[in-house]
Amino acid sequence: MIWRGLKILALIGLVVVMLAPLAQSILLSFMSTLPRNDMAVGTFTLLNYRNLFADPALIGSLWTSLTYVSLNIVICLTAGLPAAYAISRFSFVGDRHFLLMLLVFRITPPVVLSLPVFLLFSKLNLLNNPLGIALVHCLFNVPVTIWILESFISSVPKEFDEAAFLDGYSTPVFFVKFLLPIITPGIAVAAFFCFIFSWVEVVLARILTSTGGKPISMAIQSLFGFQTDVGLVMAVTILSLLPGVFLIFLVRNHIAKGFQLRI
Amino acid sequence: MKQQRNAAWWQVLPAVALLGLVGFIPLVAVFNYSFFDIFTLDSRFWVGTEWYAALVGTPDLYAALGRSLLFTTLVLMIQLPLGVGIALLIPQNTFAKGTILMILALPLVVPWNMIPIIWLGFINTNYGLLGQMLEAMGWNFDYKFTALHTWILIVAMDTWHWVGLVAILANSGLSMVPQTYYLAAKIDGAGSWAVFRYIQLPKLQGVLTMALILRVTDSMMIYTEAFGINAGGPDNATSFLSLELGEDIAAFDYGPAAARSVVYFLIVLLVAWVLQVSSRRHIRGPL
Repeated sequence: MIWRGLKILALIGLVVVMLAPLAQSILLSFMSTLPRNDMAVGTFTLLNYRNLFADPALIGSLWTSLTYVSLNIVICLTAGLPAAYAISRFSFVGDRHFLLMLLVFRITPPVVLSLPVFLLFSKLNLLNNPLGIALVHCLFNVPVTIWILESFISSVPKEFDEAAFLDGYSTPVFFVKFLLPIITPGIAVAAFFCFIFSWVEVVLARILTSTGGKPISMAIQSLFGFQTDVGLVMAVTILSLLPGVFLIFLVRNHIAKGFQLRI
Repeated sequence: MKQQRNAAWWQVLPAVALLGLVGFIPLVAVFNYSFFDIFTLDSRFWVGTEWYAALVGTPDLYAALGRSLLFTTLVLMIQLPLGVGIALLIPQNTFAKGTILMILALPLVVPWNMIPIIWLGFINTNYGLLGQMLEAMGWNFDYKFTALHTWILIVAMDTWHWVGLVAILANSGLSMVPQTYYLAAKIDGAGSWAVFRYIQLPKLQGVLTMALILRVTDSMMIYTEAFGINAGGPDNATSFLSLELGEDIAAFDYGPAAARSVVYFLIVLLVAWVLQVSSRRHIRGPL
């Protein structure tokens, strides 16, 4: 009984600690934080959110971020699904090396690659372009997608594909019509992890958008200046969390399956 | 036993091509630049291994490496046990479990440059919830000029940021334990430590290796969050490996920056390799 009480107390403590810094930001986002003529500092107000929605640059940057993250999810799933299927079902020459390569690129620090990526993408005309960021984020998201999808595909019995192939379906048709529906939770989890890793990444996103088409994270950075409106900064931060929170809510019962490293 | 089929290469080809474009080509390029003195990209001069010699010869690199290793050690010692502990606490009931996992995942969706901003607001002595609390308790928390306090702040912030990932992964490992195992343990009269040690921990091995590799490599190369707190200060006390590289790039020292990048890449590679080999041996060991 005491044990159970302690457990509940620990859980409450955990929830408080996890939420407190965010609660602080929410609080500030509804507060006037700059000295204004008609309002004392600390007054409750919706002004920050009004200012935010009145600023087309901020709203535009939110769309930029959503665009490249969605593109990244589509690219990672398209390239990752067949690869995950291959390593789940077959052994082939170099399969261990392929898995090692995934690990290596997942852990390569973005700051190491930021300079050559910038030069390469300026040659390819992919600067200030959401597609550029979507491509470069594949560096760490393709490995994650493959690891997740592989564990979901491996839990589908082999007889399932054999039956489809016996019925005369080709591999691409099999992927779309049979495999995709049965591993939908896996697709959702993979998309979720692609989303968060791409949404939060700053180093590569910054260097690829140094002159325009800024993502939301960089738009927030540019609000800092001689007299920073902390309330507005926090309002934009809270707005930038909403898509992620929505996705977490959608996959909350599936992320428990998580993913395992394959090496 | 898996079927041997080399035609499967066609299926991994798109992924390999993508990673080749955004991973392999830039790596080769950075390796190439590290042997040049680069003024502009059109006028560059071969300097051989000069940058490497300069880098390896300065105590600077080893000091930064030491700080990064210390940080990674702290992060692992705190976050792995804490994450597993949290995973063990998570209730089984679907609603409560979903809610807790959601809360744990929240910090993961915060853009990395926002994390220090949120925390600096949190500990601000004028309006921050924690800052005011610390002041009321009479603790003069000075992250700007006291190195120990900067370290405490960065470690606390990193723990808040990442412990959720460890807990989510550990939880996924725990959910793979069949209920019958617990029943068998109960019949044998096993205590909760024995259940953890002999039933839960073995199932956690795969996911914990994953968490370990992600946490080791990400914390070794922490950049955005640590820079946002105090830009490596006070007096370089929190200047980790990546912060020094960031300074080189910001100063347009492309040659030295490239040499540094190559050295860092090799360090990370070495760490990953050690982890991979040791985890494989560990998994095979008792069998």
